This record gives sequence, C-alpha cells and structure tokens, in this order.
Amino acid sequence: MLQNLSEFWHFTGFYNATWPHFIMLAVGLFFIWLAIKKDFEPMLLVPIGFGILIGNIPFSTTAGLEIGIYEEGSVLNILYNGVSAGWYPPLIFLGIGAMTDFTALIANPKLMLVGAAAQFGIFGAYMVALALGFAPDQAGAIAIIGGADGPTAIFLSSKLAPNLMGAIAVSAYSYMALVPVIQPPIMRLLTTKNERLIKMKPARAVSQNEKIMFPIIGMILTCFVVPSGLPLLGMLFFGNLLRECGVTTRLARTASNALTDIVTILLGMTVGASTQATTFLTRETVFIFALGFMAFVIASFSGVMFVKIFNLVLPKSKKINPLIGNAGVSAVPMAARISNNLGLEYDPSNYLLMHAMGPNVAGVIGSAVAAGVLLGFLA
Amino acid sequence: MKRKITLLLVALLGCSAIVTAQSRKGALFINEVMVQNDSNFVDDFGKRSAWIELYNAQFAPLEISSIYITNDRNNNTLYAVPLGDVNTHVPKRQHVVFWADGMPSRGTFHTSFTLEPGKDNWIGIYDSDKLTLLDSVTIPASLGANQSYARVKDGNTEAGWEIRDDNGDKYITPSSNNVIRDSNDKIEMFAERDENGFAMTIMAMCIVFSALLILSLCFKFIGSLNTRKAARRKAEAHGIEPSTVDHRAPGSHDSGEEIAAIVMALHEHLNAHDSENTVLTINKVKRAYSPWSSKIYGLRELPRR
Repeated sequence: MLQNLSEFWHFTGFYNATWPHFIMLAVGLFFIWLAIKKDFEPMLLVPIGFGILIGNIPFSTTAGLEIGIYEEGSVLNILYNGVSAGWYPPLIFLGIGAMTDFTALIANPKLMLVGAAAQFGIFGAYMVALALGFAPDQAGAIAIIGGADGPTAIFLSSKLAPNLMGAIAVSAYSYMALVPVIQPPIMRLLTTKNERLIKMKPARAVSQNEKIMFPIIGMILTCFVVPSGLPLLGMLFFGNLLRECGVTTRLARTASNALTDIVTILLGMTVGASTQATTFLTRETVFIFALGFMAFVIASFSGVMFVKIFNLVLPKSKKINPLIGNAGVSAVPMAARISNNLGLEYDPSNYLLMHAMGPNVAGVIGSAVAAGVLLGFLA
Repeated sequence: MKRKITLLLVALLGCSAIVTAQSRKGALFINEVMVQNDSNFVDDFGKRSAWIELYNAQFAPLEISSIYITNDRNNNTLYAVPLGDVNTHVPKRQHVVFWADGMPSRGTFHTSFTLEPGKDNWIGIYDSDKLTLLDSVTIPASLGANQSYARVKDGNTEAGWEIRDDNGDKYITPSSNNVIRDSNDKIEMFAERDENGFAMTIMAMCIVFSALLILSLCFKFIGSLNTRKAARRKAEAHGIEPSTVDHRAPGSHDSGEEIAAIVMALHEHLNAHDSENTVLTINKVKRAYSPWSSKIYGLRELPRR
C-alpha cells in the first residue's frame, strides 16, 4: 500500500512541479484577470489563459498517461490538430467573413490601399527580426503579428515556425487587446489638429448586387495573385457571400455565431495549452513580444503616414482623415472604434466609424494576402 | 428539357473523366533505375534484380494501381499494377520501387518483364487509359553493374539524368530521395541573398498593394456602373431623359440624412409602419407570477457584471 501511495505521489503535480510551471500558471491567471477585470479581449484571453493553466499542470511525462497536448492520441492532442494542421484559422475566417460588412470598403474602394499600407508593419518587423538573428521563416512567422490578426498569425506560424507558435499567438492576441493603448499616442503624434478635423463625405449607397459580387470577385482576384492565401481568403470571402447573398441566412448565422464560437473556444484553449513552460519561457519569447509590439507600432505608423501622403494627391473635397489610417491593421472593429473615438474627441460631430471600417476590413484582406506572400516565399 | 439535362450530365462526366485521366500526368515520374544489380538492394525474397523507382512529385497522395509499366514501345500494357494493394497508395513526395524480375507472381511490385544489361533499355509508364504516357526514359547501354541511372533532382524534368555508382556524393538511393536535403532551399536563398529582408519587403509590399489595387479599381469601376444605372432608373422614374442626367452631380443621390428625414416624416404622418419582417413590436406580455417558474430561482441564470 505504501508503495502504491509512493507511486501515486510521483504522479502528482506537486511532485513534478518546477518553478517555470508556477511562472506559467501565474501568466495564465494574469490573462484571465486581464479579461475579466479589465475587459481586454475576454473572448480570447479567457480561453487562452485557461489553456495556459491546462497546459502547465505538471505531470510525469514518463508515466504514459497520454494526457499532454504533445502526446499523440491524447484528447488535447486531437483538439490541437486544428492548430498544428492549420484548419482552425480558416474556420475562424469563415466566421469573420460572415460577420463582416464590406459596404464601407465597396463604397470607397480607395480605402483598400490604406489596408495595404498598414501591412508594412509585418515586413518592417520581418527586417528587424532578421537583424536579431532569426531565420527567414521564423522572422516571417513572428512578423505576421503586425497584421493584428490572431488566426492569420496562428495559420502562418503553424506552417513556418511551429515551435514558436505558442508565443506568437499569445503575443498577437495580447497586442490586439492592447490596441486602444498602443495606437492613440501614435495617431496624435503623427497628425496635426487640422488633419484630425477633416470631415469625410458620407459614403454612397451600395447595392445588393455589389455586395454579392464583392466576395466572388475579391476571392478570384486576390487568390489569383496569391494562391497560397487560399485557405484564409477563400473562407473569408465564402463567409461573406453566405452573409450577403440573402438566401443562406441560416448558414451565415451558424458560421458567424455557433461555428465561430466553437472554434474560438477550441483555438484559444489549445493555443494556451501549447505554451508549456519548457518551450515558452525562453529568450526567443521575449524577442517575439518585443517584435510584436514593434510590428504594431510600425503598422499603425505606416497606415497614418500613408493617408497623409495620399492626401497630397487627393482633391480637397475627397481628403481622408488620417485618423482612420491606424485602422489598416485588421483588429476588427477595435481599430476602427479608436479612429472614431479620437475623431469625436477633436470634433464631437465627426463620426469616423464607418469610414474607418473600410481600411479595417481591407486590413483583414491585406494581412491574409501578406501571409500568403510569406508562405509562398518561405514555405 | 430532359435531353438538355442528359447532355449536361454527359458533358460533366466527360470533363471528370478528362480530369481523372490527367491527374497522374505531371505527378508520377520514373526517378531512378538500376539494370544490373549484383550487390545492391535486395527484395523481400532475398533476391537481387533490376529495379525501377517511381516518384510521386505532387503534394498529395497518389493512387498508382491500374497504371501500366512497360519496356516495349509497341506494348503499352505489358505490366498492369494490380488493384487492391494498399501500398499502391503513394504518399506525397514519396517513392515506390518495382522489381523488374519477370516474376509478377511474387507480388504487386514485381513486373512481368526484365531489363537487359549492355543494351539501351526504354521504360515507359502509361496511365490507366493505356494511352497517356506519364513518363519514359531510355537507360543507356553504358550503365554498368551496380550503377543506377537517376534524375539529378527528384521528379524534376529539367535537371536531367546522371549515372550514380555510390562514389563521392553520387549515392544510389532506391526508395528514397535522390537529393538528400537538410534545409529549405528557399529559406537558404533568402538568408544568403537577402540578409536584411529589404528585397522581401519590397516584393511583398508590391504584391499586397497590387492585389488590393486591382480589387479597388475593379470595384471603383463596378461602383461607377452601378451609380450610373441607379441615376438612369431614377431619371426614368421621374420621366426625365436619362442622357441629360449627370450621375456625378452632388444632388443626384439622396443622402442618408435626407432618407432618414423622409422616413421620420412619413412615420409621423401615417403613424404606421410597413410590413418588413425586421419591425420591432413591443407588446406587454402578461404572465401570472409563480415562484416555481421564477428566473430568480433558476439555476441556469448567468452571473451579471
């Protein structure tokens, strides 16, 4: 009996615990606290935070319990397949497509270029990552954090640098939650008072036909240019067609609600569980967080600066308020909300939300295209 | 009508047959061949004989049962790869070796013909339609004993063929890659030629910009067509000559504010709503109170913040 008890003691978390485990458990608790107390991206940080707790419960790996996320055939491992094989992110994109209204973008197509400009954050971070000594594939996977798109970051890192995926995913989602903190100072710094007061013309009405044509033409054109972005772009536009065609309301509702919720739960939890102390608490993780921050700053900077430069060639009546430049990152709709709030701060009658939604959804397309480019070049 | 549907179905079947027939073309290659095997690879029966390695060059599994392997230009169907063997399902970018020992009774991977040393040996593989030549190669007569004739790069038709004899880096590699890779060529190239990532940044940003620019121009055009069409319809409804309407004139669109004002005025005037299914109707619902059905005591109530 004593021997059995002794064996049992060796299986317990208390026996197998190390300091890194406790640090990771604290990180998980911090994420949950941020989500519940500070309301930072709770839909993502609660599953990720709890996933970190699940992934860092110490146990004996030699006991053959088949419970760890990296142990083939375990329940967590089966759920993790959606991340490692990269099929959760396209499903999330299906839901995003079904939720997203591209009207603002269709009404003012030139705003797509703002979404393209903000992708410089990705490639700026790519150059810095190379300078820090990361290999090109790892640098590409880290740099995609600058797209401010969690599913895209997970999709690309699962292909280019699976060993860094946990840190990249956590970093991407953390900074997405911190968009309201990171972006406003950059926007204020780069714009003059007069620029912030620019009132944009109301967008024209968009017909149902245009809304139906957008996902079809959008998918064909973008995927012809970057076929490697097909899983993300194909699902994004497919979801949007379900929404806009008017005859698949039930499918669109399921894609945007139940399906997205299920996949978000599984994705968040398994990504969190994949951040095990031994692989997460490394020097690379610190670099990844620093690079992720830099990528966000560069993306916001390039979006705002592009609008300022673009305004030089636009007629006075068609000038764009540079406060919507930050929305080129694909943190939908948070980045657009920041543009709106900042615009209202300087002119209480200047509502920029719908204008900012244009570059914001263009950012989703842009980051998926950028991921496709990186995948095409480096995979 | 029925005839049209039948024709459509026949056309679809025809297309699918063409697609199926073409699916192995460009995917399956002869990758390495040994004609005289004295001291090389041994089969499951412990015998040494000539072998032919095929390679699935695509990034998806390939079923090779029912293809034909031959060394006779006048007989496309000399050896048919049998159905029903799970090993004929070749995984992506993987190889399979056939023994050219003239002993098909020994299993799926033993052909009905042999290769002759000291002579040119032509080998061809045909698709299941018996006509589509998937790949062929002529092994030179100069190929010696225990030498193989291999593609320089697996499944690559441009890199050519070479004779291998296990000396230096000319490894004979039955059932494995002709090129042993320990790194990704693309990544190596970027690491070597684009150390600071500048070229990648310029290329990638150009691609992202051009993709979104094309989409933007396309929808600018569609939007302009749509606006014109809407202006024409409006003119027709007002009995104005459509050609006299300037669709770009600022007054040609009703602004959101104008539409909202018209709707509110109508609402005030008629005090009624239309029959859209999105109408919000607020009615008081009377229910007799009972503590047994009260939500206050419900276990499924979620905490409120």
